[in-house]
Amino acid sequence: MPWSRIPQSQSKVDGNRIISFKDAIREATDQAMTLDPNVFAIGLDADDKFGVFGTMLDMSHPDRIIGTPISENAMTGVALGAALCGMRPIFIQLRVDFMMLTMDQIVNYIAKWRYMTQGRVKVPLVIRAVIGRGWGSGAQHSGTLQGVFSHIPGLKVVMPSTPFNVKGLFLASLQDDYPVIFIEHRWLYKNTGHVPEAMYSLPLGKGAIVRPGRGLTVVAASIACVDVANVCEQYGYDAEIIDPQTLKPLDEPLILDSVRKTGRLLVVDYDYPACGFASEVCTLVAEKAWSSLRGPVSRLTFPECPMPASGVLEKAFYPTARIAQRIEELLGAQ
Amino acid sequence: MNRTSATVTLNIPSVDVAVALLRRMREIRQFEERIIKIYPTDVMVTPVHLHIGQEAVPVGVCAHLADTDKIFFGHRTHGPALAKGLSMKVLMAELYGRTTGCAQGYGGSMHLVEPSKGMMGSSSIVGGSIALGVGAALASKLRGDSTIAVSYFGDGATNSGVFWESLNFAALRQLPVLFVCEDNGLSNVMPKSAHMFADVERIAAEFMRVLHADGTDVLSVYGVVEEALVHVRAQHGPAFVNCPTKRWMKHQGVDVDDLAINPVDRDADCPIRRLERLMLQSGLITQEESRAMVAAIDAEIDAAVEFAIASPFPDPANLVREV
Repeated sequence: MPWSRIPQSQSKVDGNRIISFKDAIREATDQAMTLDPNVFAIGLDADDKFGVFGTMLDMSHPDRIIGTPISENAMTGVALGAALCGMRPIFIQLRVDFMMLTMDQIVNYIAKWRYMTQGRVKVPLVIRAVIGRGWGSGAQHSGTLQGVFSHIPGLKVVMPSTPFNVKGLFLASLQDDYPVIFIEHRWLYKNTGHVPEAMYSLPLGKGAIVRPGRGLTVVAASIACVDVANVCEQYGYDAEIIDPQTLKPLDEPLILDSVRKTGRLLVVDYDYPACGFASEVCTLVAEKAWSSLRGPVSRLTFPECPMPASGVLEKAFYPTARIAQRIEELLGAQ
Repeated sequence: MNRTSATVTLNIPSVDVAVALLRRMREIRQFEERIIKIYPTDVMVTPVHLHIGQEAVPVGVCAHLADTDKIFFGHRTHGPALAKGLSMKVLMAELYGRTTGCAQGYGGSMHLVEPSKGMMGSSSIVGGSIALGVGAALASKLRGDSTIAVSYFGDGATNSGVFWESLNFAALRQLPVLFVCEDNGLSNVMPKSAHMFADVERIAAEFMRVLHADGTDVLSVYGVVEEALVHVRAQHGPAFVNCPTKRWMKHQGVDVDDLAINPVDRDADCPIRRLERLMLQSGLITQEESRAMVAAIDAEIDAAVEFAIASPFPDPANLVREV
């Protein structure tokens, strides 16, 4: 098993090596394909000249990169069928919105297969789901929907936020024998940071404290975590920022320990509020850290409407500009 | 169509093959007939889709498959599963919801699995498993191994988009997959004239080699699938075999189908009687041998039932596992 050679984690810094988020995915994918001939990539435009936002450019194994027709449902089934026969497919979905065409395969097949067969077959399948606002892409090309996938038993849901963790989490997802929905916000691709060149994995189900603090716990994943960190850095708030990294399984102890210390919780989730990730974290804290809470839990999410196209509305749709105000309200309540 | 003249002249492959085909079809038939007996006692709490009348298709197909060849089928599972080599014991135990079942009682009739026999799971959502067979074939091609895959489905599944998407991709990539349509002419109670406008064989021929077999005649299926698999195994791309047959029972459950649109002649349409008659006529089997075969299978089913009843139920403490 070649995967056992990958160390679980490693220091963030590898000399002064700084690369972009998209290059970190590209590097991880290329290294995985070299390490294990069972790894292949498949999806609509997986092999096109733009290389999936640059994450699939100049790959070393083009024979294992398969572009598909616009047949999302069957192609997801094809990836699953290959996974059941011992391959480790990377299924690439250029927009999470397109995944709604594959929900039969994802919910009825992929998520349930290992349970229905009681592990007699494994499902080592990673679905890369690109999410997030574009430039006026509008309602059908800007979805996030991490809450939808997190609702389904049998799926792991991973949301990287930095060039360092995207590489480690992606390699961990690829070597996992359960299906993983790997959600990438497209505005992260250009971000840069330290990324070791050698392969490493970060454990699924473990979050990270991005910034320590005592006055408030802020849980935020993916680009929301980056936005929260920037705000706290800019204004010097005494907030502890937790990047869950995987929404499912969720690192509950990390969140609970933090709230027991700070007594307050804000969840910033770029997704819909009803029955969503923010609601889930708030419930967790209400159930298991109630006596530590010094005030009501708080959610900052999308409004209950589809994403509009006009730039003015698009900006208003994302709650990013309201993060600072909400944190101040919560800190002011102490 | 004069079916008799078309098939009696077919070559009988060999005594061994003919006996094996007869035995496998009878295993399926007698297994299903036992379910009909047991079912009203409510010890099998799982919806069943019986294969009676359609046995020639899975048996004629699977006779050509190695254990390493993969097959993905839909909700009507018992026929192809037994034909591909699932043991009656573990199938029976699965229907009884016991830990000794092929999915330890977590799967039920519609979700069978036996990796050592090339069955990597089955699906009860019509259509989707067609794509899984294509994926298995893609895995074979990427690995460069010699295994092939079978996507096994009914005519109802040809209504679904995933069917056409799968044909297209298999043809584009020239994958080693055999599409088998067990065409009983019915989608639940809807006749094919109401559920499919076009002739599937003609349209599928735009994508790949299409062959037609008589799905009530195991020798026809056996011969046609052999020809199709020569094509597939030689890496010449996918092939499609359509096998019109007759469903004797209701879509689901243990009652006889009484649909006026689905008249069944239990002699002329019976794949077991047709083969047995031919074998008796040509001296490949004697009446005594044939009766002994029926009795031996019944004894095997008795043992399967005893095995299932003696097996434990799953522990509710293990409700959340492998998920």
